[in-house]
Amino acid sequence: MMDAGRHPNIELLTLSEVMDLEGEAGRFTATVVKHPRYVDESRCTACGDCLAKCPYKAEDDFNLGLEKRKAIYVYFPQGVPSCATIDREACQYFKTGKCKVCEKVCNREAVNFEERDREIRLDVGAVIVATGFEPYPAGKVTQFGFGKYPNVLTSMQFERMSNATGPTGGKLVRPSDGRHVKRIAFLQCVGSRDARHKRFCSAVCCMHSTKEAMVAREHDHEVESFIFYTDMRAAGKGFQEYIERAVSDYGVKYVRARAGEVSQDEEKNPVIWFENIDEKRVEAMVVDMCVLATSLVPSAGTEGLANALGIELDEYGFFATDPFSPVESSRPGVFVCGYAEAPLDIPESVAQASGAAGKAAEIIFGAPNLVKSERSG
Amino acid sequence: MNKEALVIGGGVAGIQAALDLADMGLKVHLVERAPSIGGRMAQLDKTFPTNDCSI
Amino acid sequence: MSAQEKKEDLRIGVFVCHCGSNIAGFVDVAAVAEYARSLPDVAFVDENMYSCADSGLKAIASGVEKEKLNRVVVAACTPVTHEPLFRGTCQGAGLNPYLFEFANIRDQCSWVHQKDKGSGTSKAKDLVRMAVARARMLRPLEKIGVDVTRSALVIGGGVSGMTAAVALARMGFDVKLVEKEERLGGMLRSLHKLYPDSRNSRDVLAAMEQEVQRYPNLEVLTRAEIATVDGFIGNYKISVSTPEGEKEFDAGAIIVATGASPLEPSGLFGYDGKRVITQLELESRMKKGEVKASNIVMIQCAGARIPERRYCSRICCTEAVKNARLLRQINPESAIYILHRGIQTYDTEFEDFYKNARGDLVYFIRYPDDLPPAVDEGKVTVRDATMGEDLELEADLVVLSTPLVPRSDSEVLARQLRVSQDANGFMLEAHVKLRPVDFATDGIFMAGCCHWPAHVGESVSQALAAASHASIPLTAGRVTVEPVVSVVDSNLCTGCGTCTDNCPYGAINKDEVSHKAIVTDVICKGCGICATNCPEGAITINHYRPDQIMAQVRAAFEETA
Repeated sequence: MMDAGRHPNIELLTLSEVMDLEGEAGRFTATVVKHPRYVDESRCTACGDCLAKCPYKAEDDFNLGLEKRKAIYVYFPQGVPSCATIDREACQYFKTGKCKVCEKVCNREAVNFEERDREIRLDVGAVIVATGFEPYPAGKVTQFGFGKYPNVLTSMQFERMSNATGPTGGKLVRPSDGRHVKRIAFLQCVGSRDARHKRFCSAVCCMHSTKEAMVAREHDHEVESFIFYTDMRAAGKGFQEYIERAVSDYGVKYVRARAGEVSQDEEKNPVIWFENIDEKRVEAMVVDMCVLATSLVPSAGTEGLANALGIELDEYGFFATDPFSPVESSRPGVFVCGYAEAPLDIPESVAQASGAAGKAAEIIFGAPNLVKSERSG
Repeated sequence: MNKEALVIGGGVAGIQAALDLADMGLKVHLVERAPSIGGRMAQLDKTFPTNDCSI
Repeated sequence: MSAQEKKEDLRIGVFVCHCGSNIAGFVDVAAVAEYARSLPDVAFVDENMYSCADSGLKAIASGVEKEKLNRVVVAACTPVTHEPLFRGTCQGAGLNPYLFEFANIRDQCSWVHQKDKGSGTSKAKDLVRMAVARARMLRPLEKIGVDVTRSALVIGGGVSGMTAAVALARMGFDVKLVEKEERLGGMLRSLHKLYPDSRNSRDVLAAMEQEVQRYPNLEVLTRAEIATVDGFIGNYKISVSTPEGEKEFDAGAIIVATGASPLEPSGLFGYDGKRVITQLELESRMKKGEVKASNIVMIQCAGARIPERRYCSRICCTEAVKNARLLRQINPESAIYILHRGIQTYDTEFEDFYKNARGDLVYFIRYPDDLPPAVDEGKVTVRDATMGEDLELEADLVVLSTPLVPRSDSEVLARQLRVSQDANGFMLEAHVKLRPVDFATDGIFMAGCCHWPAHVGESVSQALAAASHASIPLTAGRVTVEPVVSVVDSNLCTGCGTCTDNCPYGAINKDEVSHKAIVTDVICKGCGICATNCPEGAITINHYRPDQIMAQVRAAFEETA
C-alpha cells in the first residue's frame, strides 16, 4: 500500500469509478469519474480533529456494521491516501445546510463542501481489472439466522473483531452481551456449493476459518473452536501442514457435517443443528458465537463494469477468461487478475496481477517482435 | 501508442499490478472506488498460512 | 573514526513532529524540543505540526541549508512510512541521505502511553537522545548500482518455461530456453485430454511450440543441461552442456521452470504398472486407446497426506475426476469409483465439474484418513466412511492418484543457483503470500510445478508473473540497491566460511584466490546474519556498525535531564 502511494509512477484515483472504455489495445481512452471527497487530499493529514467533533454518525462499512463511524471519517487508520472523507448521505450540512463543525475545527483548511464529481479522461495503452470480491449476503442463507441472531457473524466481521484496530480492540466478545467468547462454531460453505445460492467453491474459506480459529485460541487459551465442513480445501503450499497444526497445537476440532440450521436459546447462544455421521443422529451444539464462512462473490458493480469495459462475464459472474489464458479478458488489451477472475488466494492473485502487468506492458512497449517475428522455413 | 496503463481496483492484486508496471517505468493510474486503497486485505487481521499480519 | 571525521564540526538538526494530535496529544512536544536543544552537537531544533507535509519538509530543507546542518534527526512516526521521504528531502537540500536518523516517538511512544503523558514525554526525550547519539556516528553512503545484461535464461521447456520464454521474447529481450529432454513440452507430452474442456494436449503443445519458434530472439537448446551458473543479478555467466559441447552465454535474469515428477509408487497399493497404474500411465493408455477395463477404481491421496509426505498435491482430484468422466464416455458400461479423503475441486468450474461427474455416474466413496483401501487380485476393499461399512469393489484396473514430487535433480540445480528449497524439496519463494514467483535471491524467479503442483492455467499465470518480474531489471538496464550491506575487513577474515554457509541470499562467498569472504553488494540485504556469526568480528553492516549501535545503547542508559 505504502509503496503504491509513494511510487512516482503511480497516480492514485480513489473514490473513483471507470464509466467507459473506448478505443482498442494500445489506444484506449477511459472515462473515469472521481467522486467528491469534500476534503482536500493535498492538505488533509488525517489528524482526526474533525471526526472528534462531528456530531453525526453512520454505519461503518469497513467494520461491516459492527460499529458506527462519523459522517466525516477516515476509512481506516493506515489507509492510503491518509485523508478524511465526508459521507454525503450522513452529513448534516448536505441535508440542512447547517453544522460545518469539521470545517471550523480543521486547522489545515482542508474541508471543501464545494467539490463535485469530476470527469477525467485517460489515454492508456492497456487496462487491468482487479476488482476483487465481496462476501455473499449471509442473510440470504436464511437457515443460519444472520441478521436475526446477534451472535451469528460473518467471517469478515470476525476478522474485524479480532483485529487490534477493529471495533472491539481485538477482543472476541459477543455482540449481544459483551461476554468473552469461549466456544465458537465456524460453518463452512454458507451459500457455497449450494444449488440455491452459489454453485462454486470459494477456495479460501476453509483456510481462513482455520486461521480464525487459531487466532481465537491465541487471544484466549480457553477458546474452543469447531469447524463444520464438507471438504477441507487445503491444496496450497503449506496448507495441509497448517491444518494439522491447527489440530495439534491449537486444539481446533473439525466436524464433518454441513449444518442444517442455526437456532438460538434464551441466552442468545447460537445452537448448531447438524448430523453426526459417525453416530448417525442429529445433534445440537450450543456455542457462544457462530461464524459463517459465506460464499465470496465478485464485487458489487461487476456487471456494470463489464458493460462499461465491453468485456464478458462467465456463467458464475466472474470476468470470463480462457482456462489456459487466465489473465486475458474477452477484449484485447483488457486484462483481469485476482479474485475478479476466479476464487484465488493471495499468492495466486499476486501472481496473476504480475502476469497481467507483463501482458499489459507487452502492449504498451509495442511488442516489437510481433512485427518482425516470422522466421523463414 | 498510449504509454500509460489503467488499473481498476486497489486491492492486493491491483496494487501488485500497478507496482510492477510502475517499476517497469510506465505511468499507472490506479482507480479505486473506496476512499483508500487496500481492499479486503486491509480488513483482515492475519493471513494464512504464515499468520503474518495482513497490513 | 578517522582523524578527519573526528575533526568534523557536527551540526545536528532535530525536528520534532506534532503529527497533529497523534503525538502532541500525548507527549509534550515543546518539552522534547527544549530537551533536544540541550544536547551536545545539536545546532538547531524545530517543531513541525506535520513533518511529512509540505511545510514540514520545507522546514527541514531550509534548516539544512540555512543552519548548515550536517546531520538531521526527525522525531515523528515510523521510518516504514516516511524514511524515504525525509531522506529524499535531505538529499534535495544537499545532505547525504544516510546522514538522516529517524526517532519513532509515535507508534512506540505516544500511541502506547496515551494514559501517561509524563512517561510518554520522558520516553520521547530518551528516544531523541538515542537518535542524536547515533546521528553523530553516521557516515555518508552512496547507493550501489550495477548494469544489467538485457537477456534472460529460462530453465525448463514445459508449459511454464515456454510461456515465460515467449513472454520475455515478446517484450524484446533475448531469451535462451534450456530443456533437458530432446523435445519441449515437459509433462504436457504425457497428458491426453486436458481439464476443464477436454481439449487435446497435443493441440495445446503444438500451439505452444509454434509460438516458441516465432521469435528470432528466442533460442531453444534441447538435450541441454545447466553446467555452471556464476555471477549475480544482471550479470549471470551461464555454462550449458549440450551434445555439441559446452555453450556459454550471459544473462541478466533467470527463470526456473523445471516442473516436478510424479511419485513412483512402488510398494503402494500393489502398484505393478500393469493392473495397478498411475494417472499419468492411464493418460498414456487413453491416448493410445488401450483402456479396455470396465471396473475401474481410482484411489486418491496415494502416497500423499501421509506422515512421510504430508502435503496435498492439489491437482490430483481434478485429474481423477476428468479421467473418470472421459472413461465413462469411452465406455458407458463401465463402473468407475473414486475413493477419496475429500475432493479438492476448488475454483469456479471445478465444483460443477465434480457434480457433473456424479451425473455421469462416477461413484465417489470417502475413506477414513487412517484406513486406506486394500487392493487385491481383481478387487479393492474400502471402508465407506459415511456408511461406516466395508465395501468390496470389483476392479480390473486400479488407478493411483499419486502426488507430484520435486524432481530428483532439483537439489543440484538449487545449489548451482544458490537458491533454497522448502521442507518438501520444492523451490522456496521469497515470501509465500506476497512474492510467490520470486526467489529470495534477486534476479532469479520461478514458475509452475517446481514451485508447487499447479495445473496448466495456474502454471501459465505464474510463468507470466515470473517473466513480468524478470523484465523489470532487464528493462531498467540497471539495478540500484540501498548501501546497507555487509563489509568485510579482509585483514581480520580467516576464511572460515561461517558467513558463506549461513547467508540466505548467496551474497557472500569465498574469493577463489584469497580464500577470504567477499560480499556481492548488489545481492546483499544487510540482514546481519554474516556479521553476527563471524567469529573474528570481521564483518560490519554499513549504517548499522557496532559503534553506531553502541552509541545508541549507551545513550539509552543516560539520565534524562
